[in-house]
Amino acid sequence: MANTTAEQARGAKIMLELRDIHKSYGGTEVLKGIDLTLKRGEVLAIIGPSGSGKSTMLRCLNFLEKIDRGSISIKGETLAFTDESGEVHYATGSDRRRLLSSMGMVFQQFNLFPHMTVMENLLEAPLTVKGRKREEVLPEAEALLDKVGLLEKRDAYPGKLSGGQQQRVAIARALAMKPDIMLFDEPTSALDPELTGEVLRTMRELAAERMTMVVVTHEMAFAREAASRVIFMAGGVIVESGDPQEFFAHPQEERTRAFLKNML
Amino acid sequence: MDRLVDISILMLEGTQVTLEIFFVTLLLALPLGLFAALGRLSSWKPLSLLMEFYIWLMRGTPLMLQLLFVYFALPMVGIRLPDIGAALLAFTLNYAAYFAEIFRAGIQSIPKGQYEAAETLGLTYAQTMRRIIMPQVFRIVLPPVSNETINLVKDTSLIYILAMNDLLRVARTIVQREFDMTPFVIAAVFYLVMTFVLTWGFKELEAYYGKYDR
Ligand SMILES: Nc1ncnc2c1ncn2[C@@H]1O[C@H](COP(=O)(O)OP(=O)(O)O)[C@@H](O)[C@H]1O
Ligand SMILES: [Mg+2]
Repeated sequence: MANTTAEQARGAKIMLELRDIHKSYGGTEVLKGIDLTLKRGEVLAIIGPSGSGKSTMLRCLNFLEKIDRGSISIKGETLAFTDESGEVHYATGSDRRRLLSSMGMVFQQFNLFPHMTVMENLLEAPLTVKGRKREEVLPEAEALLDKVGLLEKRDAYPGKLSGGQQQRVAIARALAMKPDIMLFDEPTSALDPELTGEVLRTMRELAAERMTMVVVTHEMAFAREAASRVIFMAGGVIVESGDPQEFFAHPQEERTRAFLKNML
Repeated sequence: MDRLVDISILMLEGTQVTLEIFFVTLLLALPLGLFAALGRLSSWKPLSLLMEFYIWLMRGTPLMLQLLFVYFALPMVGIRLPDIGAALLAFTLNYAAYFAEIFRAGIQSIPKGQYEAAETLGLTYAQTMRRIIMPQVFRIVLPPVSNETINLVKDTSLIYILAMNDLLRVARTIVQREFDMTPFVIAAVFYLVMTFVLTWGFKELEAYYGKYDR
């Protein structure tokens, strides 16, 4: 999008920087050297075939998986780096917690807490993790629920909601921690087709508010229209990356073309 | 009719012993079972193996044998416990093992995504267990814990062999003395009342915690 290019020209703040990320499970290398820089307000769409390492890359970012080599920095601060001997070091204690708390994560399977109401799901982390006061967080949580269009469901249990509603609550829950970066791992893949629209709409609104986002998705329309950049991953590497209009109109690599042809 | 009342009063005293064993065992075995389950699931191998062995031993041998062992074998190696203490030790160790298996299965049935969601929201491991995992486990284990608890009511009658005056022994003593089967019928009614109250209580609990649907 034009905005992003303008901001890049002004040298917008770098939110995320991955250098030479490698990750193996057992003997198989799943990430084979990923480099990525994300500036404030960028919406990065990651597409690619199943098993190409997209989820693993997101999970390495927020410490659900540990990298084997490379470095990760968040808002200019180091989360992980590799020393000369090849050993990976992570930030520890409160430093690590602070860095990780600047990222919110939305999962394919929603992962709402089923024993808590919608409102309790939103309040849980601000109260338990940040130790904030309930009466202070409550209006914020109400505003977030209103934003995702689910204020009237505040006292419902997740089991009573549709998949699309659950995913919107999950987005609101992540936002309640006031993250600077939102990570989405195929947020609409577990949904019935008629329910993807409401979730994508919420994400588009978030993008319009200049939230920095990384979105793994199979929704090509979302990638084309809402993203400021698209990358195509296959076999643990970034095959191609570019401006969405360019990327979809004139894919450069043969593998990208083959993948896009299959998606249509 | 008077006789029935007299017998019942005698048997109420026996019921006290039965209830004491029941409640103290439950009070000790539930938390112990939880710790054993956490130990069993620990990534620290020695602890996990030790708990596996303990659970295997307790579930693989008869409770009657365990009672006799604590009652007769321990004094031989110089450990003397009061009768009720010996009974409580055996019951607690045995039931904690069964509870541990129930809790382990419950904890393992919670999807990995619950831990991951909690972690990405910044909850520590302890907070995750306390706030997210255990409340869900509690609900899942209610039915099997309810079963075991009702079993415990009936298993308390095993202390009969330790010559303690529980409900069953009091009943038998009267039966032998007076050649009248009524005490056995009364004992059956007492046990039924206890299991009925428990069944009802657990059903209420399950209904209360079933207010959210998976
Ligand atoms: N925890 C794990 N243990 C072993 N292999 C894994 C694990 N997670 C992912 N993989 C493997 O890593 C590869 C990449 O997986 P993933 O990152 O989930 O791909 P994608 O999200 O692009 O579909 C797959 O081959 C998958 O089987
Ligand atoms: Mg995936």
